[in-house]
Amino acid sequence: MRNPSSLKQEFLKKWIKGLQICSATKKKMSIMERRKAIKVSADIAMASTRKSTTYWSHALMANASKDDTNKIIIENILGNDDDNSKRIIFKKASMGISMSQKRIVRSKKIVRNSCKISRRARKISPSTIAKKLVKKRTQVLKSLVPGGEYMDDASLIKETLDYIISLRVQVDVMRHLANNASHEINDPKTSS
Amino acid sequence: MSSRRSRSSRQSGGSRITDEQIADLVSKLQLLIPESHTRRSNKVSASKVLQETCNYIRSLHREVEDLSDRLSVLLESTESDSDQAAIIRSLLM
Repeated sequence: MRNPSSLKQEFLKKWIKGLQICSATKKKMSIMERRKAIKVSADIAMASTRKSTTYWSHALMANASKDDTNKIIIENILGNDDDNSKRIIFKKASMGISMSQKRIVRSKKIVRNSCKISRRARKISPSTIAKKLVKKRTQVLKSLVPGGEYMDDASLIKETLDYIISLRVQVDVMRHLANNASHEINDPKTSS
Repeated sequence: MSSRRSRSSRQSGGSRITDEQIADLVSKLQLLIPESHTRRSNKVSASKVLQETCNYIRSLHREVEDLSDRLSVLLESTESDSDQAAIIRSLLM
């Protein structure tokens, strides 16, 4: 596991970079725009700390890059890294996800048809109920983790572990910033 | 244990992952989720862990949104974001 404080620093640097880009491109933002910029920069910064090692980071970046304004942020934050990773992310945004969606629709139809056939033969037992619960909860988890719908169960759990750690880092840094910023405003003396 | 393993081999979907691997991952997940009260570690069901995980992720998402709201109000009051960001960064490091 990576050192959490180094993760926090990396996230913070990238997030601030993203925020600077946003404020440079638009001098006066409405509060809604500012809020969106903050959240998007934070998400992109969080995803880029993992880069190409996890699936969810790719899916998150791919979703963000659908919006043209975010592309500039992504380009700049990934700017230090090689161009290949950038190209992969933008490609995945357009191609990979749409292909997996067709696959999912087809497989769902197959499962539905096979369920109709075997329903009469199946007996209700506590293990079946437990299995159903696990299936149901897994579906919910898939909707929460970015890119989760296209993963098998074991990868989903691995990705969830990583995603939770990164989310925690994001929340910690943002909370720190919010607390310090409110202190700064209420008490303008800087403590050295 | 053996009955569970035979059940997994009957599963459709083609995932060749053993139940042991999944149990290992589920236990790791359990460690991450904040649950303070004592739990008999052997008897935690996978569905409970999954449910707690989903709730935890949702609460983290909600917190990110709340913090974004707070920050959008706070950062609005300064002239330039980058200056204040630099100050705050020096405070945090």
